[in-house]
Amino acid sequence: MRLLIVEDEEKMARALRTGLEAEQFSVDVAGTGEEGFFLASTESYDLVILDLMLPSRDGMEVLTALRRKNLSVPVLILTSKDTVEDRVRGLDAGADDYLVKPFAFSELTARIRALLRRGKPEPTDILKLADLEMDAAGRVVSRGGKELSLTAREFDLLEYLLRQPGRVVSREMLARDVWRETARYTPIDNVIDVHIAHLRRKLDEPFARKLLHTVRGVGFVLREESS
Amino acid sequence: MWQLRRPKRIRTRLTLYYVGMLAGVLALYFAGVSLLLFWQASNVLKRLAAEDLETVKGLLYYDDDGHVDVREDYHHHSDWKQVQERLLEILALDGTILYRNERLGDRTIGGAPFRGEGVHGYSGRTAKMSDGTKIILISRQYDLGGQTILIRVGYSQDLIWNELRGTLLVLILASPLILAGAAYAVYATVGRALEPVSKMAHRAQFIDSERLNERLPVESEEGELGYLAGVFNAMLSRIEQSFEQLKRFTADASHELRTPLAAIRSIGEVALQENATPDEYRDTIGSMLEEVNRLTTIVESLLTLSRADAGQINLQVSVFPLAALVRESAALLQILIDDKQLTFTLAGDESIGAQADRLYIRQAVVNILHNAVKFTPAGGSISARIQCVGASRVELSIADTGPGIPPERSARVFERFVRLDEARTPADSGAGLGLSVAKWAVQANNGEIGVASAVGSGSRFWIRLPAVGCSSLRLES
Repeated sequence: MRLLIVEDEEKMARALRTGLEAEQFSVDVAGTGEEGFFLASTESYDLVILDLMLPSRDGMEVLTALRRKNLSVPVLILTSKDTVEDRVRGLDAGADDYLVKPFAFSELTARIRALLRRGKPEPTDILKLADLEMDAAGRVVSRGGKELSLTAREFDLLEYLLRQPGRVVSREMLARDVWRETARYTPIDNVIDVHIAHLRRKLDEPFARKLLHTVRGVGFVLREESS
Repeated sequence: MWQLRRPKRIRTRLTLYYVGMLAGVLALYFAGVSLLLFWQASNVLKRLAAEDLETVKGLLYYDDDGHVDVREDYHHHSDWKQVQERLLEILALDGTILYRNERLGDRTIGGAPFRGEGVHGYSGRTAKMSDGTKIILISRQYDLGGQTILIRVGYSQDLIWNELRGTLLVLILASPLILAGAAYAVYATVGRALEPVSKMAHRAQFIDSERLNERLPVESEEGELGYLAGVFNAMLSRIEQSFEQLKRFTADASHELRTPLAAIRSIGEVALQENATPDEYRDTIGSMLEEVNRLTTIVESLLTLSRADAGQINLQVSVFPLAALVRESAALLQILIDDKQLTFTLAGDESIGAQADRLYIRQAVVNILHNAVKFTPAGGSISARIQCVGASRVELSIADTGPGIPPERSARVFERFVRLDEARTPADSGAGLGLSVAKWAVQANNGEIGVASAVGSGSRFWIRLPAVGCSSLRLES
């Protein structure tokens, strides 16, 4: 999978490149709008990550020009402009997604995967990780053959983590996708933490191998520790 | 084209205006005086003319040719001399001129007699002579040896004007003096009246952000200018107050932002000083990220509030049942409530609707509830109550059994960066913006927010919003 990052701030571009290459993407970086437009219209990419405030050619201009040339490559706008008007303008100009800086890196990769997955069949309802098994449609989850008794919210939380095994999920993502809260504010973080604690008690406490891990400062991840 | 420019200064303008008015009044006054004098003078003339007519009548005779003539021997009579100053004409009734004096010469005074001229006593009128001179004309019919004749005596109007000229000249010469005097008086008076204005302006020049505590001089409370100065001073007080608030806000904000920044810096610097295991590094970076998250939350709340201040947030107003919203907010926090074994109760009319932006009100309610949960000790209770206040307001109050807020702090709890409990660590209690956001959300929706609290007896936060379903028919229990 080839990605193009159009970003003028060098540190940001380098962090993005390193992080995305670690996710097995092949990454090109353009430092100006002009260069970004040239690369996007001559090379073939699976996705473009576009900053809006760029030297020589503004991100919106690049996007409009690309769409005028009938290039349908998915574009994800990554910007610090966060008003509703800016989002609407970006999506109306032909962007496929819009993410505001500062963002959680795990959310960026999740969105990239979602954009690349588009049009592919829905994921399966039977999810597995190590000895954990979930039937998402039947709302049944068991570990080591023993059924776990989860509340509805705990089940949703676990399903969300289980659909992205090994990937770190941030509190913002949980607030938006599991709790469906539109605004982000302090109380919800506390609520999430307590739910995670409860889930951990039911999921991991009776077992020797822990599956649910906290990544300090980032979020939570469901994975089999290799050790 | 030449155009009249409006003078900029009030003083000049008022003076010009007043002098113009005065000139107009003087002109009208002079015209009236002249007319009155003229009228009086012509009355005097008419009386003189009647005497003249009698004199002329006494001197008339028919000479040998049957012509009317004036007795020669009287030519040097003083009365006659006086008559010769006038314009004299004697006519037969058919218009034939019988006599003209030397002064009249070839001119005629008034043409053929009109019907009834001078029949009943003296006829007086103003007339125009054949050469255009305006005169006052008096005429009377007499019987002279069986023939009816008409005697006319005319006086030139110039005569009167000559008499009046002196008076008018004095008046006209005096008027510039009067006007100049008046102008000076007005200019001086207005100047004195406007003196407080220039004092105010002078003082106002020196009031800037550093000297907002200065006030304009108030000469007297009652005058218009005193009132103006008072209003300006009140405005200055409000500006000073918001400026103070802004200063405190900026100081608080930089403090709040600096705290996590300092932590990030120290954590990073310390971690680089010694060799550590990957796990230790991971932990270091994680704790740095925690601080970054704190920064992010603060910046986002600040952005929301500053956009709210700038009026850039569009509200989506709808009508929704308030009880459902409270229940939903409590459900979101239910796990925190359960963890502390708190009791949450909701009482009041389920059907009362609030008219507001649901999302923002929900955020306000969640923030208030979250505070209640945070500060109420384990085993305590939180009771929410919904009731109508009057016909068009609904009040939601949320009471807890927490420690309460001392009165000197309760006034400030809605201010930005003011924490309910300063002893708490920042990470635990947030940045002190939750209630500020709640206050803004409620007020932007045309509502009010407040708190009643006493140390030891818990706090009761309340919000009031426009309501639907609080009709006047409903009796409050």
